[in-house]
Amino acid sequence: MIQALFYKEWIKTRWFLLVALLTIIGVTGYCILRVYRAGELNGMDHLWLVMLTRGVTFVELLQYLPLAIGGLLALVQFVPEMQKSCLKLTLHLPHSALATTYSMLLWGTLFLTLCFCISSGLLYGYLHTVFTTELWQQSLFTTFPWFLAGYMAYFLTSAICLEPTWKRRIGYCMMSLVLLHLFFLNHTAQAYNPLLPFLILLTLLTATFPWLSVLRFKAGCQD
Amino acid sequence: MNKKSKKTMEPIIQCKNLTHYYGKRLIYKDLNFSVPQGRILGLLGKNGTGKTTTINILSGYLQPQAGECKIFGEDITKMSPIMRKEIGLLIEGHVQYQFMNLQEIERFYAAFYPGKWKKEAYYALLEKLKVAPKQRISRMSCGQRSQVALGLILAQDPSLLILDDFSLGLDPGYRRLFVDYLREYATAENKTVFLTSHIIQDMERLVDDCILMDYGKILLQMPVDELLQTIRRYTMHIPEQQGIPQIAHHSLYHPNVLGNTLEFFSFLSLKEVQQELTKQNYYFTHLKAEKVGLEDAFIGLTGKY
Repeated sequence: MIQALFYKEWIKTRWFLLVALLTIIGVTGYCILRVYRAGELNGMDHLWLVMLTRGVTFVELLQYLPLAIGGLLALVQFVPEMQKSCLKLTLHLPHSALATTYSMLLWGTLFLTLCFCISSGLLYGYLHTVFTTELWQQSLFTTFPWFLAGYMAYFLTSAICLEPTWKRRIGYCMMSLVLLHLFFLNHTAQAYNPLLPFLILLTLLTATFPWLSVLRFKAGCQD
Repeated sequence: MNKKSKKTMEPIIQCKNLTHYYGKRLIYKDLNFSVPQGRILGLLGKNGTGKTTTINILSGYLQPQAGECKIFGEDITKMSPIMRKEIGLLIEGHVQYQFMNLQEIERFYAAFYPGKWKKEAYYALLEKLKVAPKQRISRMSCGQRSQVALGLILAQDPSLLILDDFSLGLDPGYRRLFVDYLREYATAENKTVFLTSHIIQDMERLVDDCILMDYGKILLQMPVDELLQTIRRYTMHIPEQQGIPQIAHHSLYHPNVLGNTLEFFSFLSLKEVQQELTKQNYYFTHLKAEKVGLEDAFIGLTGKY
C-alpha cells in the first residue's frame, strides 16, 4: 500500500521533481564553477586567504533554494489533495490515516534528502580536491541549516495546505515566517554549528503539524 | 421495477441521539435512525436540514457534538482500516483525483483491495464512456467523472455504499445510467446503500426506504412504497374567509388556501378526513383525494418554502 501511495505522489510530482533536481544540480554546479573560475583567475591560495579571513563560503547562491524547493514541493503535493476535498478519498482508503499521511510526507522528505545529498555530494566532490578539510567543511556545514530550512518549509507548507480553515492557515503562515527566519539570521560561515541539534529538533517538531491539520480536517473543522 | 422484500437483519448503520450545531445554529438534536442490511435508503430534505452533515458524520469527516454512529457495529470515529474496505464512498460532485487518468486511478485503488478488486467491472462500465484510457480525469465531463466514480465503487465491491448527492451536475442520460447500474448492482449483490440527492425522481426510481428530514428532526422514515400508498393530496372548495380546519396536530401537512381551494397533504384516509371536517362543522365541497409521486409527497410534507 505504501507503494501505491508513492505511485500517487509520483504522478503528482514527477515534473516538479525533475525541475527541482535540475535546478539544485544547476545552482550547485554554478557555485562550483565560480570557485573554479576564481581559482583560475586569482589562484587557489588567494581563495584560501579570502575564506579564512573573510569567512567566504562560495555557496551563497544555494541559501534560499532548499527553502523554495521544500515549500513548492509541499504545494505541488498537497494543493491537489485539498481541491474539492480530495483528501477525503485519501483518508477513506483502507489504511491507517496516520500511516497514509506520513507516507505522503515521507515521499517528499526522501526527495528533499536526495536533492540535498546530491548538492552536498557535488560540493564535497570538488571542494575537497582544492581546499583543506577545514575550508571545504566551512562551505559544506554552512549549507546544513539551509537544508534544514528546506525540510521545515516542506512540513510547514504541508500543514498550511492540509489545514481546513483559513484562520489557522494564516496563523501557520505567520508562524512559518518566524520559524524559517531563524535559519537566516546570521550569514557568517558556520554560525549555526552549535545550534544544529536544536534546529534539527525544531524541524522534527514541525513534522507533526501536518498530522494536526489532518486531524482537524477529519473532525470537520470549518471557518 | 423490482423491490426487494424487507429482511429483518442487524442494521448496517445505526445512529443514536445525534446532535450537531454549526456555531450556535442547531442542525438537529437527538436524531435516531438505522439502516437495515440490503436496503437502499434515500435521505431527503430541503437545503439546510442536515443531509450533508449526516453524510459527513457517517463517512467520518465530521465529529457530531453528541451521540454516536455505528457502521457494521463499529464506532465510525474509531473504525479500523479493514472495515473501511467494506464502505464505498462517493463524494458530492463525483470527486476523484484530477491528476490521474483512467488507468492510473484504477491501478492506484486496486492496490488497496487485494484479492477483492474487480477490474473488469470498472472497465466494463467505462467502455460506455468512449474516452481514452490515458485521458486525465480533469479533462472529463461531469457525467464521465460520475461513471469513473461509480466504476471504482463497483470494482471495490463494498457491502455498504454511501453516496452524497450522486446526481449533482449530471444530465438526464447520465443520471439514468447511474441509477440503473446502481439499482441492478445493489439488488443483485444485496448491498446496502445510503444516499442523498436533490433529484427526487431519481430517488423514487432507486430507493427502497426514505428518511425525510425537516429542520432539526426526522419527519418520517418508511419504505417508499408505504409512503406513496398512504400519503394523499387533498383538495376541496371552501367559502372565502373560512380559514384552515383545526384537525389534530400533525394530521395536516402544510395546508394552503388559494382563492376558494384548500389543499393539504395527510396520511389520513378520505373517510377520516371527512369525519374530522364534519366534526368541526367545517364547510367544504368537492373534496378530492389523490395519490402523488415522491416529489409531490416531499414538497407536500416539507412545504414549498
